[in-house]
Amino acid sequence: MKFPFLKQAIPNLFSKPSTVLFPKVNVDAKPNYRGRLAYDPEKCINCGMCIKVCSPGAITRTFEEVEGGERITYEFDMTSCTFCATCEDFCSEKAIHMTQDYHMVATDPAELIVRGTRIKKKVLGQLTCGEECIFCGLCARSCPENAITVDRASKSWSVDTEKCVKCGICISKCPKKCLSFAEPAEEGVNCSDACIYCTLCAKKCPTGAIEVDRAAKSWTINREDCTKCGTCVAACPKKALSIGPIVEKAPAPAEGASPAEAPAPVEAAAEKVEAAAEAVAEKVGEKAEAAVERIAEKADEAVEAPKTEE
Amino acid sequence: MFKKLIADSTAKSPWIYHINTGSCNGCDIELVAVLTPRYDAERFGFKLAGTPRHADIVVVSGPITTQSKERLIRTLAQVPEPKCVVSLGSCPRSCNVFKGSYSVEGPLENFVHVDVSVAGCTPKPEAVIEGLYKATEILKQKREAMKK
Repeated sequence: MKFPFLKQAIPNLFSKPSTVLFPKVNVDAKPNYRGRLAYDPEKCINCGMCIKVCSPGAITRTFEEVEGGERITYEFDMTSCTFCATCEDFCSEKAIHMTQDYHMVATDPAELIVRGTRIKKKVLGQLTCGEECIFCGLCARSCPENAITVDRASKSWSVDTEKCVKCGICISKCPKKCLSFAEPAEEGVNCSDACIYCTLCAKKCPTGAIEVDRAAKSWTINREDCTKCGTCVAACPKKALSIGPIVEKAPAPAEGASPAEAPAPVEAAAEKVEAAAEAVAEKVGEKAEAAVERIAEKADEAVEAPKTEE
Repeated sequence: MFKKLIADSTAKSPWIYHINTGSCNGCDIELVAVLTPRYDAERFGFKLAGTPRHADIVVVSGPITTQSKERLIRTLAQVPEPKCVVSLGSCPRSCNVFKGSYSVEGPLENFVHVDVSVAGCTPKPEAVIEGLYKATEILKQKREAMKK
């Protein structure tokens, strides 16, 4: 007599069931499981690449003006997410991370939104004094760093920008309210002469602000679209890009050329343009005359033609 | 006493009915996995009902497509009160990647109040069990509210 599955059946009688005892015993997801998203607002540089690559459009950001800066909020809707982790791949600062947490059950869907907020501080410019100054010296006396010097006799006011910590105490003490922080010089991405017009920066730009023409050897940037995220700076193989005070006319003058010589090419260019304009005007004039003559001839022919027929 | 017996047994054994409203089948497979011996949701009394008329919990998966909209409304109307609606995955809650499609009629919330939403694409079977368990608790509250 033969029992076919006896070898398997008897141990199974005494072994545990294969059921996962989930609610009693918590089960961790496998290492590469993509669960709830984690966002680190401190690392985020607000480039917006995650929003651009998100296929279900689950990421939104809001800007809010607050005292001393701008509050930037990122919201990741887990009820709209496909958990593809494309945002994680594209995040240059590794601010987005997919965790193994799969316990995403809620009666209120608002609980399933991952939020991150940070305040982008407004950069203050240098301390400046207006014309209404009476040189009372209150600002110099209140300055904790002794950065301000006021001379009543010679009516001079000066600030040591290296010592100034921009605390603003002097502004509150000023009786004439003539002290203020100047608007800082606007910063942006600048391209130097080292540029080889490889277009890598334009391809990497999350907002599509950079345009590079290889044929014309031109590098242009749309300042309104640029978020100064620095992705292009990191991508540049020649390290030609940098973030700093905006320098217009992208290729800066070469080191050898002195500023005094700079206007010369402009004048030369202006002369060339004038000469070209004159040449064009002459040519247009000639052509117009020729055309008028031709039309007149044709008109004469047309008038004569019916006569010959008769 | 007989009524109490029925009330106790229905509370312990909520039957689920599953509607696929244009899902990619990922969530459906996970829901079936929940009912297999591996995850064994029948430990908690969950049983897949053959008809919406027998169901306590309705599990909806998929964005509501134009084709399935009529059928969804008709099915939900047949489920006796108190009922509990569970949205499985991202699709019924927000239409996921299908949002804006000409053949998608928007999230499930447009047609019926969603009691429990299980997020994930697709949710792990453990998460589905968690969602269904939460649904039974809501069902209990609704039953008590109906008594009064």
